[in-house]
Amino acid sequence: MTARQMKLGAFLWATGHHIAAWRHPKAHVTAGIDIDHYIQLARTAEAAKFDMIFCEDAAGLREANTGIASQTSRSIGFEPISLLSALAAQTSRIGLVSTASTSYNEPYGLARTFLSLDHLSGGRAGWNLVTSASPIEAANFGSTGLKPHADRYERAREFAEAVTGLWQDKQASGHDGQSFSVRDPLDLPRSPQGAPVMVQAGASDVGRDLAARTADVVFTAAQTFEEAKAFYDDLKRRLAAYGREPDDIKIMPGVAPVVAETEAEAREKHEELQALIPDDVGVALLSSYLSISDLWRYPIDGPLPELPESEGMKSRQALVIEQSRRDGLSIRQLARHFAGARGHWRIVGTAAQVADELQARFEGGAADGFNVMPSYFPGELDAFATLVVPELQRRGLFRTEYEGRTLRDHLGLKRPV
Amino acid sequence: MDNGATMHLAVSLLAGIADPSPGPEFSRLAGSVQKAEAAGLDMVLLADSAPASGGGTANSPMPFEATTLLAALATVTSRIGLVAAASTIAHQPYNLARRFASLDIISHGRAGWHATMAQAPREAANFSRPEGFSPDDFRRRSKEYIGIVQGLWQGWDADALLFDQSGGRFHDPEKMHLLEHKGAFFSVRGPLNVARSPQDTPVLVLSGLSEADLDIAARTADVILLDGGPVEGATARYDDIRRRVAACGRDPDAVKVLTNVAPIADDKPAALAERLEEEFRARGCDGFNILMPAQLSALDDFVDLVLPELGQRGLFRENYRGTTLRSHLGPAGGGDQ
Repeated sequence: MTARQMKLGAFLWATGHHIAAWRHPKAHVTAGIDIDHYIQLARTAEAAKFDMIFCEDAAGLREANTGIASQTSRSIGFEPISLLSALAAQTSRIGLVSTASTSYNEPYGLARTFLSLDHLSGGRAGWNLVTSASPIEAANFGSTGLKPHADRYERAREFAEAVTGLWQDKQASGHDGQSFSVRDPLDLPRSPQGAPVMVQAGASDVGRDLAARTADVVFTAAQTFEEAKAFYDDLKRRLAAYGREPDDIKIMPGVAPVVAETEAEAREKHEELQALIPDDVGVALLSSYLSISDLWRYPIDGPLPELPESEGMKSRQALVIEQSRRDGLSIRQLARHFAGARGHWRIVGTAAQVADELQARFEGGAADGFNVMPSYFPGELDAFATLVVPELQRRGLFRTEYEGRTLRDHLGLKRPV
Repeated sequence: MDNGATMHLAVSLLAGIADPSPGPEFSRLAGSVQKAEAAGLDMVLLADSAPASGGGTANSPMPFEATTLLAALATVTSRIGLVAAASTIAHQPYNLARRFASLDIISHGRAGWHATMAQAPREAANFSRPEGFSPDDFRRRSKEYIGIVQGLWQGWDADALLFDQSGGRFHDPEKMHLLEHKGAFFSVRGPLNVARSPQDTPVLVLSGLSEADLDIAARTADVILLDGGPVEGATARYDDIRRRVAACGRDPDAVKVLTNVAPIADDKPAALAERLEEEFRARGCDGFNILMPAQLSALDDFVDLVLPELGQRGLFRENYRGTTLRSHLGPAGGGDQ
């Protein structure tokens, strides 16, 4: 029995996670229309033995202000299920996880699509459940406004239950609930890994309960060790209520590393990116996390105004506010900070420094692994793969070869009966 | 009719669990599609669980959903058109438009959407609509749906992306267009968050058409699939469709009419080729959609035995003229760069 090892996700996002990544001379600026670029990234991640590739999604533009949107690369990109299906044919071991919304899909279609991806990949698929908090998306689906947080999660709970039922029991006699009805079992064979892996990211109280009930993997944002540890302990504690063991769920906080051979080089690289963020883009992104539309009215070098609790992303809003108070940051400073890593944990340093930080959270009981969010592609994924991964392997913290064939194998998850 | 004497050929792959040969399902399917590509076929139609194109052939279920399968096939082929069936019941129009726009970029302009105007009897009950739709509602809804999808596909101008790194202009906001659709069944603001297709828009293939659907098809379709019948009837029907296309202000050659053909197991290759030649020369269609039985070996037989017969008769082109599906379909299809 080998020692416990960390799980790693390669979170792909066109041009990079840094909002100004596309302007970086070493970023691949046409990533959003270049499938060969993604095939290369997938092969890099697979060669480095990552557990999975992770794709986010939104069914609409990211930014309502078209002028601001045009200064980012976020308005166009591949639809992730088609992207991962293409990558399934070009990889053989790495897991393939896509985000999809419970608000704008139906359980039968979503269960069938992910099961098909699972068959195409020989049991490497996963679904990241989101409830969709953006009014921009809602307007593409006939909605007049965003549904309240609690209603979205009630729909998500029923959705997840219906999907799991379809994946796990072909003889199920259908589903007839509040939001959905399904009559037939799926017309595809059972998953090669029992069922595709369920991933979730909601960190609010109701989101944590849903995760404790249904998720195999939880992706989360945590800036400090204490936040990460508190979240980890709380979520693992909730599992017992649903008859599950602590190890049945893998908690993988996002981490945005900027890594180089020396610390000075890493800092320089980070500063270079920060300097590429236009102020209005940074403020707009910060506004979307805070679910308010008029942040630009306030002095950019002043503090955050008092904010009402939002119906959007509750937990992310609290995290931003807490950091602004704790570090006494101005709107501009916060905007740059969050634009860089989108509220996720950032480490700037050498491979050894990055590995130290990851090891501390992993061994300190604050994470089972990490979802790695490179600031630009392909350079920063290459840097993580060639600098940090070997360092983690030397320390015995990460695999040197895949042991199994399916995503459940990689993650050490039970196969559902 | 196309500007020459050659026919368009599509094959509908229903390869399913009935196939007895060993090996992973995807590799076998990929091998068949590569074979069809080597033979120069215009496109492969990937069936989904709902019957793809009428014609009475029983579809055995594929182990894959068609759009995901298309994406995987796109990475192991380079010229052949790839068309997936996707139901207007199973997908929201915004999601379907995104999926196919993305598939079209993944395949470098070889993707198509096969929509059927015939409501699959049991399908709606799996999508929280146990009562289904009345035929008239289904028709009006399909018409609105297709309009939304094609509108979303045109939301970004071909030259909208600037990639101006130093100037900080990723795209030109003037070249991104909202749809602002508000209709009886859907409201969709747009735009799509996927770039413009390399072939302008994905190809639209329509089947399951009743008389009342013909004008919708004439206005929107790139390819129409019709069930076979007596040759005389086919000629009149073909002329009627071309008149309707022209009446919509489109070039009649912009729409290709393909007749569904289900080969019978003991059809001699020469006899099948003769049957196709007769209908084609009588101006009954622009080509054929060969409904393959569940055994993939049937495709091999068609390519190895029937295609040479058609080639000898000068009825099938030997090489692809371009790289996109629209370029295979002919000059009036437009969009090939």
